[in-house]
Amino acid sequence: MTSSSLSPSLSQPADRPQRSGVQALRRKMVDKLATGMSWLAMLIVVFVLGSILWTLLKNGLPGLTLSLFTHSMGAPGGGGGLANAIVGSLLQTGLSILLGAPAGLLTGIFLAEYGADSKLARTVRFVSDMLLSAPSILIGLFIYMLLVEPFGHFSGFSGAAALSLMAMPIIVRTTEDMLRLVPVSMREAGIALGAAKWRVILFICVRAARGGIMTGVLLAIARVAGETAPLLFTSLGNSEWSLDMRRPMASLPVAIYQYAGSAYQDWMQQAWTGALLVTMGVLIINIVVRVGIRGGRS
Amino acid sequence: MNEKPTQAMPSVEVAAEASASAVSGRPIAIQVNNLDFYYGKAHALHNITMGFPERSVTGMIGPSGCGKSTLLRVLNRMYDLYPGQRATGEVMFAGQNILGTGLDLNALRSRVGMVFQKPTPFPMSIYDNIAFGIRLHERVSRSEMDGRVEDALRRVALWPEVKDRLQASATALSGGQQQRLCIARTIAVRPEVILLDEPTSALDPVSTARIEELLDELKTEFTIAIVTHNMQQAARCADQVAFFYLGELVEVDSTARMFTTPRESRTQDYITGRFG
Repeated sequence: MTSSSLSPSLSQPADRPQRSGVQALRRKMVDKLATGMSWLAMLIVVFVLGSILWTLLKNGLPGLTLSLFTHSMGAPGGGGGLANAIVGSLLQTGLSILLGAPAGLLTGIFLAEYGADSKLARTVRFVSDMLLSAPSILIGLFIYMLLVEPFGHFSGFSGAAALSLMAMPIIVRTTEDMLRLVPVSMREAGIALGAAKWRVILFICVRAARGGIMTGVLLAIARVAGETAPLLFTSLGNSEWSLDMRRPMASLPVAIYQYAGSAYQDWMQQAWTGALLVTMGVLIINIVVRVGIRGGRS
Repeated sequence: MNEKPTQAMPSVEVAAEASASAVSGRPIAIQVNNLDFYYGKAHALHNITMGFPERSVTGMIGPSGCGKSTLLRVLNRMYDLYPGQRATGEVMFAGQNILGTGLDLNALRSRVGMVFQKPTPFPMSIYDNIAFGIRLHERVSRSEMDGRVEDALRRVALWPEVKDRLQASATALSGGQQQRLCIARTIAVRPEVILLDEPTSALDPVSTARIEELLDELKTEFTIAIVTHNMQQAARCADQVAFFYLGELVEVDSTARMFTTPRESRTQDYITGRFG
């Protein structure tokens, strides 16, 4: 039967199926119920997110002082800040993207353009997706065995390596997905001009997908910036100011982890403020992504 | 020309002889001989033999799935992109069988350009859309490039509309403008042949008329093959028309004869709208 939102008061021709009012009523009820459930689910999610943000702001904002950015971590009650952790996070996240983004981009290009459905491509895709959902502590341990134990000490480098392993599969997936969205006609148009395949991929397909690919990279940054577990066994953390990536290095998530578990009032305060900083950073990246996408579309 | 046993496809033989004279006095730019084409196991083109006369428009008509686009995509070896598609027979262009192995496909495609059904502007500026193709095959100075871009845009009558925004994104142009840009991009490479695969089917009537006018202009310099679903378009633009049906070339002749006194009843039925 065809759908009928028409009021039953409309006269109906006799040779058409008679649309009963009961059925229309039932459809309306189901519609209302489904809409109501969706709203409820949405409200719960928004409430949870809102309450996290509210708690962070309430507890974190009071600790947001200038000295937080100018002083390194110190003894309890010693008036230390988080400067070394902030810089450590920036360095390790930055290096991890420098390592992970090119590898992820090239792998994504391989999967979308060259491998297609070959056995190799399917294997790489499977492994990459496994890595995407691998427990982050495992990645930390892996890098520990690979880069920490052989050298005999923790280091910022190994922290960045662990983070890059987390970032890479995200970038692989988004790059492949975005390249697959580039219409075949665009590739054919490039080929029809006499362009070699690599040129078509690099100068046409990647260009066409660049907004989505950038989004993937930014999302990867947002993801790894807040990771704690991969850093516990790699860069360890460091309470002193250090830009030397060959030595143990502080980071915001690890500092939050240490401070939040302590018994000192000022450390706990800084843990809240650190959490606020990480959240704000991730939030800003997400906003940049959204604005960027909108800008790219117009 | 390769003579085949007559029982194979008598109408093709007649058609092939007609093709050389269909557009009077023109030498043949591309000669297709006994071409068969396969999509995997599916046999899409059967023993096609026809010529494309130089500097004239060959219209290719026929119902959907009749193989006209397939033939077009053989002429620049576009089918090579897809494993499982293969062609047998002979396609002579510039003294060479382009179906042979070891051919430089990029060089071939620089000489046999193609315009598609949907406009496909590249995600770059209007200027770079034109320059992209030129840069592939030639090394030109900045000022020469400016000249080439302007020339190509003038040829398609797009220059007055875009000359003040050459650096703007090509995707912001209207559909008709985009298609003219794609034609400009193709002729900027200076090919000898231009293949058009239903170039106006996504366009409004005004844009369509402009492209048809353009074809008249372009055929003074290029050999043109155009696939179209629109019989009037074939009648308006083409010097020679080829009618395809179920993977066979039913008939090819001068446009005037095709639309007035076709030899085959199937042609007659199709162009009078009895099927297709």
